Amino acid sequence: MSVLTGKELRIVGFLCNWCSYGGADTAGTARAAQPTDLRIIRVPCSGRVNPLFVLKALMHGADGVLVSGCHPRDCHYSSGNFYARRRLEMLKDFLPIVGIDPERFEYTWVSASEGQRWKEVVTSFTDRIHRLGPAPRWADIKPRYDLPFNQPEKLLEPIRPLGCGENPSLGELKQAIRDALAAKPGADGRKLEGVLGWKRGFDAVHAEPVFMQTPEDVDELVWGPFNVHNLANFLPQYKGRKIGVVVKGCDSKGLIELLAEDLIKRDDVVIFGMGCNGTVSESRIRARLPENAVIEAARGQGATLVVSASGQDFELPMKDLAQDKCRQCVKPNALVSDRFVGRPVTEPEAPADDRSGALRFLDDLTLEERMGFWKGQMERCIRCYACRSACPMCVCRDHCVSDSRDPQWLTQDDDVLQKMFFQLIHAQHLAGRCTGCGECQRACPMGIPVFALKQQFSRMIKNVFGYAAGMDPTATPPLLTYQVEEPNIKERELS
Amino acid sequence: MSSLRFATPDALLGWLKKLAAEYRVLAPRQEGPSVLFRPYAAADLDGVSDPAALLRRATASPKGAMAPHSETLVRFSATKDEQDPAKLNVGLDAPCQAEPTVLFGLRPCDARGFVVLDRPYTSGSFKDPYYAARREATIIVTQACPAAAPTCFCHWTGSHPADSEGSDLLFTAVDGGYVFEAVSDRGRALLESSGFADAGDRQAAVEEAHARAAGSLCPPSGLEDIPARVAARFTDSEFWIRHTAKCLSCGACTYLCPTCQCFTITDEGSPLEGRRLRSWDSCMSPQFTLETSGHNPRAEKFKRMRNRISHKFSYYPQSYDGAYSCVGCGRCVVSCPVSLDIRQVVADAVKGAPGVNSDAAPAPAAKPAKAKSAKKSSGKE
Amino acid sequence: MSEHQCTCGHKNPYLPELATVVETVQETPTIKSIRVRFDSDEAWEKFSYQPGQVGQLSVFGAGESTFVINTPPSCRDYLQFSVLRAGEVTNAIHKLQAGDKVGVRAPLGNWFPYEQWKGKNVFFVGGGIGMAPIRTILLHLLENAGDYGQISLLYGAKSPADMAFQADLPGWLKHPHLKTTLTIDSPAEGWPHKVGLIPNVLKELAPSPDNTIAALCGPPIMIRFTLAAFRELGFQDENIVTTLERRMKCGIGICGRCNIGGKYVCLDGPVFTQAQLNELPPEM
Repeated sequence: MSVLTGKELRIVGFLCNWCSYGGADTAGTARAAQPTDLRIIRVPCSGRVNPLFVLKALMHGADGVLVSGCHPRDCHYSSGNFYARRRLEMLKDFLPIVGIDPERFEYTWVSASEGQRWKEVVTSFTDRIHRLGPAPRWADIKPRYDLPFNQPEKLLEPIRPLGCGENPSLGELKQAIRDALAAKPGADGRKLEGVLGWKRGFDAVHAEPVFMQTPEDVDELVWGPFNVHNLANFLPQYKGRKIGVVVKGCDSKGLIELLAEDLIKRDDVVIFGMGCNGTVSESRIRARLPENAVIEAARGQGATLVVSASGQDFELPMKDLAQDKCRQCVKPNALVSDRFVGRPVTEPEAPADDRSGALRFLDDLTLEERMGFWKGQMERCIRCYACRSACPMCVCRDHCVSDSRDPQWLTQDDDVLQKMFFQLIHAQHLAGRCTGCGECQRACPMGIPVFALKQQFSRMIKNVFGYAAGMDPTATPPLLTYQVEEPNIKERELS
Repeated sequence: MSSLRFATPDALLGWLKKLAAEYRVLAPRQEGPSVLFRPYAAADLDGVSDPAALLRRATASPKGAMAPHSETLVRFSATKDEQDPAKLNVGLDAPCQAEPTVLFGLRPCDARGFVVLDRPYTSGSFKDPYYAARREATIIVTQACPAAAPTCFCHWTGSHPADSEGSDLLFTAVDGGYVFEAVSDRGRALLESSGFADAGDRQAAVEEAHARAAGSLCPPSGLEDIPARVAARFTDSEFWIRHTAKCLSCGACTYLCPTCQCFTITDEGSPLEGRRLRSWDSCMSPQFTLETSGHNPRAEKFKRMRNRISHKFSYYPQSYDGAYSCVGCGRCVVSCPVSLDIRQVVADAVKGAPGVNSDAAPAPAAKPAKAKSAKKSSGKE
Repeated sequence: MSEHQCTCGHKNPYLPELATVVETVQETPTIKSIRVRFDSDEAWEKFSYQPGQVGQLSVFGAGESTFVINTPPSCRDYLQFSVLRAGEVTNAIHKLQAGDKVGVRAPLGNWFPYEQWKGKNVFFVGGGIGMAPIRTILLHLLENAGDYGQISLLYGAKSPADMAFQADLPGWLKHPHLKTTLTIDSPAEGWPHKVGLIPNVLKELAPSPDNTIAALCGPPIMIRFTLAAFRELGFQDENIVTTLERRMKCGIGICGRCNIGGKYVCLDGPVFTQAQLNELPPEM
């Protein structure tokens, strides 16, 4: 123990005002001998402990963080600690993915009368941290720059046949959209203003979002492997207006989550769906063509994309090109639509191991290697925040906490801790809300695999709460609710 | 001896190692799927067997070499007054230093980017001493572009793949090595100390390489009178709304751009010990022009995009003798999450501008009309 | 209008001059005037500016913000900045007390073209905190009243309590060369002056546009309607002068945020005639 060894570590304690702070007081009044490593921050309630407080402390040099509140059912505010329990449990599960030992963080409950228990809790936690020793510092970790799971031979085999052939129902979809645009105002007296879809981008392997308003616009609609963008992202900015949107399965999940959070109204949106056979990663196409090859045309032949570039044809199998999320997609059809066109794509069984390539890779690393990995990746972040802008669930838009000066979470320093911490904010704010569209990562101009951080939260949410975001517009995300008895949260005793 | 010098790959690497002892050498480095300008120490160069590794097309522009993502403008610290401890005395320190640097392996568009940045940073009534110091301390060694990417459009902005503007040295890859040519006096001095062999007999190979690269560009824009016509578009809100509908309002384009110079200034740290930082900012961010009162002249994204395009193709040329604040590197096109193509926006803005025949200007994908702004680059200037 | 000239004595335009708060005046519940003087006597001696020029006032740790220097250039005791509390920096400024250290980067921007106004009448309109830039040029003109025709001031605020520069008002009201009209938005007990919005009071006063310059400053909505009122009264756009406000950071025309078209408010402004503004893209 520190008092005895004479070498303190840095442990931060967040104690609720009503119970645990009182418990610590009681222990003090009783002159109970305690280690002195703990620096206590008094908070109104354990429910006030934003998991980002803990992350901030751990990222910036704390060797351990302890949160302590009232026992469940004893919360001064009746339910603050119930919420805290869910958030903090998820946080603890999240920590290892960024290379932080989850043992360095604990939450517990101590009442104001439990002076003795407080003593035991703080002694036991301090002992634990001393066993772990000082936390590794980001500055000292060796960065790793490569992305092994992105190597062609490491890509996961798709769980269903992916294709890029022409969809025979595209004509039908176009007609449905033309009809909807031409239709007289509906029962609510509103006419459809336009429909979000995709058209060909600046070359044959790019599509771009388009807001179709005229029949000529609809002529340009495309459907296929280049329709990578999640169009649900645009919906909140049209709030209150009647517009249509064409969705793939993954886009429909974003749309459902927006509905669930009341960020858009179902009556405002006309949804057109078609079955998706997978989308490509543009960089994977590029990587398979000679440098500077000028792409002249691209056509799908079943599961092969034939790209004509600089006068030569390249046959590229979809399984080499597909985005990672498409490889394990089990919901290729729109989960919600007003008009589903064509035959739904056969939905595959969920694989036994549904981890992404990135998670499989990270799971096999040591904690220190993971920290080095993130350090190496985040170093090249340019802080453009395209990840945030591309995220359909980043609904704060121009009021993001990362831009705030009060409270100030981030400085403008060009250092990897700031960049990483933004990703932690993003992942934390998406816990239980991320629908897995992966747009954050696709949008990243520097190719940083930031999606993995959200995937870590999603798998923990699924394991503990059996919940996946974007499936049910009436569902409440698990971190916005609680159960008095949590069947899957096993509390760990510290004393 | 001719003014050209020839370096084999080994000679080039040896020279860079020698330079690394004296200078900070910045060159492209692959990190994950991206390529960035990073410092190479001599030991790092030992691990490089082929200079091609240092000549990749960079994902992010090298502008950080002169205008870092974040830098300290002023350090401040407060100490208690010895006479009156209730009082604080403040000390200020403006660390305005620049390390001698060789910026290596950038393309002509990137080098021209610095010429574009020079004007606002150093030619006005106030000179930015931080930028100027770095500019002064940096020798720019540019590689003639071996081939244009489909997103390249340097010829739209009055340049070509072997343009030497903004460079101190320009080198061209030819069979068996690289041919160097001095552009500036200090480039000449550096080249003379290189020990590279004379390359007089390779002039033809160089010209051929330049012609090949020029031939790989997309058709010229054929656009005329761009600044006035873009300006004439200003009040056509409908145009800007349509062209910005897909924009996500992220700042990727501006942060990757070799000519975007917008920055913010913030204090970090405490009043007792802190730093006044200058860091990159983006005109695509809604907060960029948000006033304390809540008023925001560019609250909507179409206004921000309008300002960005107008700045590059209208305001800047009007302020600086017709030069665009765009060098056609195409990074904003390549990396835009929604594939927004600045060429298309400019072409469309110019095409239907008031009083203009709409047939006059083809879209970028169309066949070349009469080339006007593109200099034919069959060789050196 | 005067061409911009760099009168800044610093080599490094980002390095502030250290200054000490001499005195603070709580003008209204939300407006505070800060009076500062450079710590370096040499810098203070050399310092000069023109009425209408601005400065970047910084509280170290909070940041910098742009304010007009609202003392007239003849004042050698201190520089005064009047600050409406609104954001992080202005909150920090409001906490300043005499003896505190601040940073000042000044003078920046252009100024009122008072040389061209000689022999003319000048009609000033200030609304709320917009009175600050008017104060500096008004005081400067009063010091040289012989060079000008009739000088008038219309100063409006929401309520008597929101009226800044209370110490100046009695003098202005009885100044022999100045016709002062004060107005508040809605009636208040004991208020002996006008009641009504500035544009309405202006129309009521109906100054003649003959040989007269109008100089106005205030919040955007006031500017819009007051400008319309002046035009209605027959004022030509080249004789209407206003100061613009934009978010600024560098103050020296580089950081890119305060532009209107190709002009930077920090460098080419903040003072513009309406005729000049008409030439710029309509982006207010």
